[in-house]
Amino acid sequence: MTTTRFAIASALAAALVLPAATQAQGNMEKCYGVAKAGKNDCQTAKSSCAGTSKTDSQTDAWISVPKGVCDKLVGGKTTAG
Amino acid sequence: MPLALRDLQRAFAAHLAGDDQPALAAEVRPGAARLGIHRHHVLDSLASALAATFPTVQAVVGADYFRGLARAFIGGSLPVQPVLAEYGADFPAFVAGHDVSRGLPYLADVARLDWALNLAFHAPAGDRLVAADLATVPADRLPALRLALAPGTALVGSPYPLDRIWRASQPGAPADPVDLASGGVHLLVLRRPDDAVFVALSAGEAAFARGIAEGLSLEDAAGRGASGFDLSAAFARLLGLGVLAAVQ
Repeated sequence: MTTTRFAIASALAAALVLPAATQAQGNMEKCYGVAKAGKNDCQTAKSSCAGTSKTDSQTDAWISVPKGVCDKLVGGKTTAG
Repeated sequence: MPLALRDLQRAFAAHLAGDDQPALAAEVRPGAARLGIHRHHVLDSLASALAATFPTVQAVVGADYFRGLARAFIGGSLPVQPVLAEYGADFPAFVAGHDVSRGLPYLADVARLDWALNLAFHAPAGDRLVAADLATVPADRLPALRLALAPGTALVGSPYPLDRIWRASQPGAPADPVDLASGGVHLLVLRRPDDAVFVALSAGEAAFARGIAEGLSLEDAAGRGASGFDLSAAFARLLGLGVLAAVQ
């Protein structure tokens, strides 16, 4: 076993014997995310009724300027191009 | 002459995707209005599914713009299977190639993060590798060990501060501006029992995790870490986060 490999083996083994409290920190680590509602419901919440609109509300003339939070992303232009 | 059934079906499918079919309209009376109902329903449902899967993209560009973006995508990428939560795999690439990315070059990365969170959320929870599982492995055999990332785990790297962009896009987020030039991130998306989340990794940790994902031995994966990379801490962190797949 080379010195390098020995050092790697030692480092990996050391990770396994860190105190339980240290190991558990990963589980307690601050994460970002959201619990989403299930969405395998065929998106029917406004299906048939909304679908009875006889004209498609979206045309090629859709609003072409982003208007979301990109305004507060500094350096983010709000127009394409 | 009436259309043959197969031609009728093809024309109807093309109509639903937004492509007007005069021959079809002639079959239905009063054609345009009735056909419009079905097109509206299909496109509206798929756009809603995309909005649910890419909520951060929608927050960044606004609901109206997102609708248009989704509609432009849907016409060329109809679902190929029935699960709406699995629809949109190609959307990040579509965004990257769309004009909007010239003005908002980080948007495709936002879409990739949304997609990774979506996959993580729908991934099986399953068993994760924990330190105790490796207690019986002799230390000198650890370097040659090949592990894998647990289902739903993904690395999303970006030259933009994707984590801060994501936070600024959440409902109720403070209006503080995010400096897009403040540097990139290496995010690790993971599935937890009740949700899908992400954490920021150091460059060394990300390189190590990517090596594991590619099937490298732990020794070779460790070699991906830059100088100053703390292998013990990185391995312990991945084990603690529960992002390594249980060994079969």
